[in-house]
Amino acid sequence: MPNIVECRGVTKLYRQGSIDVPALRGIDLAITKGDFASLAGPSGSGKSTLLNVIGGLDRPSSGSVKVDGEEITGLDGNALADLRLRKIGFVFQAYNLIPVLSAAENVEFVLQLIGMERGKRHARAEEVLHDVALDGLANRRPSRLSGGQQQRVAVARALASRPSIVLADEPTANLDSKTAEDLITLMSHLNEKFGVTFLMATHDSRVTSRTRRHIVITDGRVAVDERRAANCNLGKLAWAG
Amino acid sequence: MITRARLLMPLAWRNLWRNPRRTIITVLVVSVGLWSILTLAVVLGALSTSSRDTTLKLMTGQGQIHAAGYRDDPTVAHRMPPPNTSLARMLHSPAVQSFAARVRVSAIVQSEYKTLPVTLAGVVPADERKISVIPSQVTIGRYLDGAGDNVIVLGRDLAERLKTRVGKRVVVMTQNANGQLAERAFRVAGLFAGSRRAEDEFIFTGIQTAQAFTGIGNDISEISFETTSDAALPGLITALHQIAPNLDVQSWKELAPLPYAVSAYVDLILVIWLGIAVSLVTSGIVNTQLMAVFERTREFGLLQALGMRPRLVLVEVAMESMWLNTLGIAVGLAAAIASVRAFPNGLELGFLARGAEIFGGSHLLHLHINLGDFVLYSLIIWVLGVAATLWPARRASKVSPVEAMSRT
Repeated sequence: MPNIVECRGVTKLYRQGSIDVPALRGIDLAITKGDFASLAGPSGSGKSTLLNVIGGLDRPSSGSVKVDGEEITGLDGNALADLRLRKIGFVFQAYNLIPVLSAAENVEFVLQLIGMERGKRHARAEEVLHDVALDGLANRRPSRLSGGQQQRVAVARALASRPSIVLADEPTANLDSKTAEDLITLMSHLNEKFGVTFLMATHDSRVTSRTRRHIVITDGRVAVDERRAANCNLGKLAWAG
Repeated sequence: MITRARLLMPLAWRNLWRNPRRTIITVLVVSVGLWSILTLAVVLGALSTSSRDTTLKLMTGQGQIHAAGYRDDPTVAHRMPPPNTSLARMLHSPAVQSFAARVRVSAIVQSEYKTLPVTLAGVVPADERKISVIPSQVTIGRYLDGAGDNVIVLGRDLAERLKTRVGKRVVVMTQNANGQLAERAFRVAGLFAGSRRAEDEFIFTGIQTAQAFTGIGNDISEISFETTSDAALPGLITALHQIAPNLDVQSWKELAPLPYAVSAYVDLILVIWLGIAVSLVTSGIVNTQLMAVFERTREFGLLQALGMRPRLVLVEVAMESMWLNTLGIAVGLAAAIASVRAFPNGLELGFLARGAEIFGGSHLLHLHINLGDFVLYSLIIWVLGVAATLWPARRASKVSPVEAMSRT
């Protein structure tokens, strides 16, 4: 399978006063098409930083990052925005839906940015909301949706433009156990049925136990990168919640 | 571009009502600011016009012609004959909008209770109506009917001081052509309401009555004239000098230097006041907009994370600001128009009247909407309001999405 993401020697330094604090210390990582991967590690290990660098939200201090074969480290703000729009879907911990837009409009917003015509846009929004089982709630604004429903809208929004990869940062952190389980099941289903590539930064053992690829970052380095059968139990990890 | 506008316009409009209180406060800041600027401009403009008109539209006109020596000794001794053919032709030319010949002498008016010094003006009512506001300011009784009308019209305040009224008689005394005291009783036909100075100073009768009273035949004291524009005045004065070299021809700036200085002064105050008002309003708008934009930095980070280019974030914020400022300006304009229209008969200054009269203004300000001013000030506020948002929005759009989204 082709690589969707390729990181080579990626470092990231944050400046705190006069001291450079390394968050990533030379990451080498490839995410292949169809991966359903979790990125785990203790707080401050660098998993969110890596996700941000891969998503073009943040720039590495050195190294190379390719998304869909395109080197993104030298891209300017506009080019990165275009890359995120067309190739990357984001799911955030705090849902981050646009509060003044309905569920369908939130999904359509991304398609409208792409310039998709109205009819196709509506149809696509309807389709992805159906895929995340939100058929009857398309016209509700985020304030009238539960946390789980909001996160499913966020997943639908991330999928709408048929991105190469969906990056999810702690997608279950704000959800109760049942809702978190449902969300993981949904994402797993989307991965299996449509081949959507997922990379999820998480602390949550319910997520890490369900992914087919498990990556652990420690002190800014890849400590574990293993492929396995789904549903294996990694709850034994000491740092997992 | 149209697709982007379709995307952003409704988003911008809905964003306004996410925080109705903030939106209402900002709209109020813009509308109250604009309202205050517009009404201030109208009132100060009316004061400036009043100051000028009180002089020009009272008796002076834009210029006057007298016999030589009249201005130093304004008596019937320094009178002049009616305009000769060439002067009359000039006064009837298109350069002159209107003119009025007068007999104008110092006099004393006496009632049963009081004797007061005044200026007696014998006028041609039809001509006077074209050059002076006094005929239109008669609020009780009537103005003069014709050149031979033998009644008298007084100022309202003078009548109060004389304790007389319409229908009663007063006695007027002045020096006649022979240097003797002439005395005559006049029935009061009307009272005019203008500036207090005018009400106390002038009394009016028909020009033929005044000529007979002073014994000067067909002679007159002055000709007051108006041009079609201020710019035409110097040329007209020069032409009149050439046609009537023995007569004293002066523009209103020489005849009334104080009101001229006051008019210029009021215009300057108007500009300074408006400058201050615009600055205050703008700083209020900038402050409100800055807060509104900076507290949404996180949201702008999200929009960029979703793939919105930084420039589009800027456009979205600008659209919100346009909606906001357009709303505020619509409300402010409506309020200002309503405020001006609330005084169709003019704004009575009440206890401020004396102060206004020091500046040569009337106690009654006639408020007029100057469309050009209204459009200009609205545009200034709109542009400043939108520009005030662009700077913080530009800063917010330049923050990296990660940094923006990490802000709470």
